[in-house]
Amino acid sequence: MGEASSERDPGFLTPHGATMRAEVRVIKYILSGWLIAIVGFQLFAYLLEVNYSELLLTDLTFFNLPIQFWLSGQLLPLWFIILCVLFNIWMDRHSVQSREGSLRFRIKPVSGEDE
Amino acid sequence: MAYGMLQLVPIIIVGAMFALFIISGLRNRSNQASQYRFIGSYTGRVGIGAGIACNWMSAASFLGLAGVFYLKGYFAMAYVVGWTGGYVLLLVLMATQIRRFGKFTTPDFVGFRYESDAARTLAALISIVISIIYCVAQFRGIALLVSWLLGIDYIPAVVVGTILFVSYVVVSGALGVVRNLKLQYFVLIITFILPLMLLTRKLGYFWILPQFGYGAAIGELQQQFDFNWSDPFGATTLYEWLALCFTLMFGTAGLPHVLSRFYMVPGIRDARWGVAWGLFFIALIYWSAPAYGVLARLFEARNGISLNMTGADAADMIALSAAGLGGLPLWVVGILAAGGLSAAFSASAGLLMSGSASFSYDLYPRLIRPGVSERDKVVAAKGFFLVLAAIVMLLTFQPWGMIAEIAAFAFAVAGNTIFPAFLLGIWWPRANATGVISGMMAGLCISFAPLFIGNSLPFISQAIPFTSSAFIGAPLVIIIMVCASLLTAPPSAAIRHFIRREVHDCPEN
Repeated sequence: MGEASSERDPGFLTPHGATMRAEVRVIKYILSGWLIAIVGFQLFAYLLEVNYSELLLTDLTFFNLPIQFWLSGQLLPLWFIILCVLFNIWMDRHSVQSREGSLRFRIKPVSGEDE
Repeated sequence: MAYGMLQLVPIIIVGAMFALFIISGLRNRSNQASQYRFIGSYTGRVGIGAGIACNWMSAASFLGLAGVFYLKGYFAMAYVVGWTGGYVLLLVLMATQIRRFGKFTTPDFVGFRYESDAARTLAALISIVISIIYCVAQFRGIALLVSWLLGIDYIPAVVVGTILFVSYVVVSGALGVVRNLKLQYFVLIITFILPLMLLTRKLGYFWILPQFGYGAAIGELQQQFDFNWSDPFGATTLYEWLALCFTLMFGTAGLPHVLSRFYMVPGIRDARWGVAWGLFFIALIYWSAPAYGVLARLFEARNGISLNMTGADAADMIALSAAGLGGLPLWVVGILAAGGLSAAFSASAGLLMSGSASFSYDLYPRLIRPGVSERDKVVAAKGFFLVLAAIVMLLTFQPWGMIAEIAAFAFAVAGNTIFPAFLLGIWWPRANATGVISGMMAGLCISFAPLFIGNSLPFISQAIPFTSSAFIGAPLVIIIMVCASLLTAPPSAAIRHFIRREVHDCPEN
């Protein structure tokens, strides 16, 4: 039974059904935004340091904070909160839609009545 | 800041704060019939968020982070990003699904998902190890604060701190105190941010939002004292930064006492929104913590005090030192100490209770006394709580790093063991008991390798520093789990059907 049935198992790389496919797609978007921001900001700071030494990093400030402090210490936690809120809003809407869909599927409309 | 003498005013403030928590907990008990007891009660999504944040806040957040900033500058941002970014992983990959499994502890989840008592026992042992390591960080914080409050040396302070902590838990338990997590979070955040506002106001900076105001101190350090903060990767490498950051994120999504919050929330939607609120409350602390490290540097520079790079104790107490050096009244330093002590007590209580529950419900009835009654399990849990406290106390006599570094090691262990077990358990139904046992064993080896063989093989401690091993370790453990699972029989059809239908809501094939 092993391999033949395991091929039917849903997973992150092989989502099954509309609900799971949609959920995995949004998770991939959120994780991409998460990863790009974390690695991107550090690469940005690293390249500034390597290419322009301290001159640019000293001059580039936001609210008096050196740009790398602001990006990592202030903006990234805020970005994580935004990602969480976006994910929750999407999940809330998606769960309402899928519930409505399943109700439409399950409840037989009375004859002559609109769905 | 004066050491070696009794700090009467701060002691009174600390006592008053703990009395407030106990009285509020007793009122809670009479107002509601809660089964959560000392673990805490909460209502609504904001309440769940406050519970998550309160559960999270520890000596590492309250004291340790400022200390790392003080010593290592921008490198400490890896802690801020790691300890907040992990919640995104937790939310999108685990929070909803864990709730759908309907299990109440990490060993419960592992035992049910992988259908293996051996995997469950191993998960229980790992939970206990993580609790002990994380608690050493808390006990170190408690000892440093007690040492300052009572004017005694570090080692006696460890003993006195342990006695105070155990007494607090026993008294709270005996009185049936139900923790009011919203109140506790509110008090903790006030005790952390109020002194910072007063400090920045005194310096003439933008004090309404001290999280931004401390930028002026960085400028002053640069211009007047030639102290350079604009060199993010000067002392460390980009690899070290990313390795620590990702280790902390994987660990956040794998810490048993963090995961346990999601087993008990009323609904899936509440669990998700609770994470978002919790992250906001946690971020309030992390937006502020760097300021203490920077301001302490500024005050020292103004007073002509040179930086002591080897003074881990001084660095871990830097939040209080900053308040003292800034000339704030003793009662303000006192409320900062009270907040730190409360965070450390609360985190330690949660961790040791989680550890003792793992022992009494997973190890004791399976390995020591099969068929033991529920009453005996409760007695065993209480006894093991004391044993764990004693073990942690002994380890705290000679800790292996600063508060934040010890905590980071606990995160590395969780990231190398529990995180891959949960991740594949939820998202890959083919993962089986052999896979998870091999993976968790490999994760333990990877976590402890830098400590035990790092000296003889320096390459190991450079590639996988003990605080940052999950960056390489977690993907490696996932590969091991996948290979071991594919080479052995798949899990039962029942559990795979459960994952397909109940966890991922997939249609029947």
